[in-house]
Amino acid sequence: MKQRNLFLEILYAVLPAVSIACLLVLWMGVSGNRPDLIPTPAETWSRFADTFDKPIMRLSFFGHILASLRRVMTALLISWSAGILFGILIGWSRTGKSVFGSIFNMLRPIPPLAWIPLITIWFGIGETPKILIVVIGSIVPVIVNTQSGMERVEQLYLDVGTVFHANSRQLLFEIAVPSALPTILAGIKTSISTGWMVVLAAEMLGAKSGVGFLITRGMDSGDTALVLVAMIAIGIVGALLAVFISFVERMICPWLRKK
Amino acid sequence: MDKKTKKNKFADGSTKYALLSVLGIAGFFVIWQLLVVSGIINSKYLAAPTDIIKLFFVKIAETAPDGNTLQVNVFSSLRVSLLGLFTALILGIPLGWLMGWYRWVDRFVTPLFEIIRPIPPISWIPLTILWLGIGLKAQAFIIFFSAFIPCVINSYTGIKQTSPVLINVAKTFGATNFTIFIKVGIPSSLPITFAGIRVALGNSWSTLVAAEMLASSAGLGYMILMGRAFARPDIIVLGMLVIGVIGAIMTALLEFAEKKIVKWGGRTR
Repeated sequence: MKQRNLFLEILYAVLPAVSIACLLVLWMGVSGNRPDLIPTPAETWSRFADTFDKPIMRLSFFGHILASLRRVMTALLISWSAGILFGILIGWSRTGKSVFGSIFNMLRPIPPLAWIPLITIWFGIGETPKILIVVIGSIVPVIVNTQSGMERVEQLYLDVGTVFHANSRQLLFEIAVPSALPTILAGIKTSISTGWMVVLAAEMLGAKSGVGFLITRGMDSGDTALVLVAMIAIGIVGALLAVFISFVERMICPWLRKK
Repeated sequence: MDKKTKKNKFADGSTKYALLSVLGIAGFFVIWQLLVVSGIINSKYLAAPTDIIKLFFVKIAETAPDGNTLQVNVFSSLRVSLLGLFTALILGIPLGWLMGWYRWVDRFVTPLFEIIRPIPPISWIPLTILWLGIGLKAQAFIIFFSAFIPCVINSYTGIKQTSPVLINVAKTFGATNFTIFIKVGIPSSLPITFAGIRVALGNSWSTLVAAEMLASSAGLGYMILMGRAFARPDIIVLGMLVIGVIGAIMTALLEFAEKKIVKWGGRTR
């Protein structure tokens, strides 16, 4: 019995490595036999190294990542500030909810990507439309979470405030908003990953810089290795963003640590 | 107590608030209409709501400018996104359950899953073209990716949270691990799994536009892209509204199904 357990422990420890190895073998096997389907890992790596010698559209590889990150950050700052304000408005005031919440709920089912054609008719293809599309995509989780956080403030907390003669401004800013903070942060977290996804789509539809541009560039010039490099970079940046934000979350709300 | 005060708050002026909602939406459309009719917003950039309603009826019979009637586009979009969505449900949910229940599956699949997860579905488009060409299969594949990930994550989390008490009861009655998996694990994971299906549904419908950029010849996403190409804001807005309405209807249908199927939602945490 004990031996069996030991065997299982070893198996469990080795399996992740086995699965990654399987993936690599599969990749090498397919790319070796059918190079038209996917470039080999070696090709992908050398393509990655090449991007530093030969900049694409006068930007290095990291330059493109930075260009995308800058768009996302600009858009996120807008959607956080606007989204939290709007969320407080429709989550705190019944009148606000009735008047503006209904409009918001009517527009919400329209996916952010479906706005792209209309936005490009309005603003052409510069920086503004891309940022605006990312704002449209990333503001929704912020608004939804802020609203639900504000609506679910413990009545008890508010009653305590009332007992101590807090005025309505104090009730809002000293009780309701702080107690909704964890929910708002969860919305901010979602908005970051949504933003990162939407910026990609916006860039794929016409841009001269950014990771989405790299993908379209690779697709148009038949440079699959570049596509793969860009995909991997997008994945890594996305994962890093997720790690970074959970770190920040733990700094701001230490009480949220995983049970 | 808490509930009661809330209820009273609602009862207070619920008619007033319902009226305000109607006013809000009506105001939205009236301002929109006025902005376009008065010429503050050029009709090159936005169509008036009345024109869009008119276009809705025209588009049912006419194929201009994208070559399909509205119904054909709706049908084509539904086919692509439901194909992608159902493939994702059929593969993703059982995979998540197995990963959550059997540790060796978890150890084997999770690393692969974690590699694929952060790559947005849209960035698969070029590789998909290489692998599957352009057409229904390729479009459904992109949608599959967008729906697959929430299916796996939620069914995994759901089954992981199965109450140990329930498992122990089953064990006491001599159930095998597999029986417990089927009869205890899966049912108790359903509320969270359904939340995943809801996310998957939303993702699959919102990736539609991206998927239909892939050289399709019909579909709502294609229709609004053509609207952009022909500089027809009325076509674009009509397409957006139809996409929104269908998305909302599908979400409502799913919620209805969830209520029918998961009757124990409240009790398993």
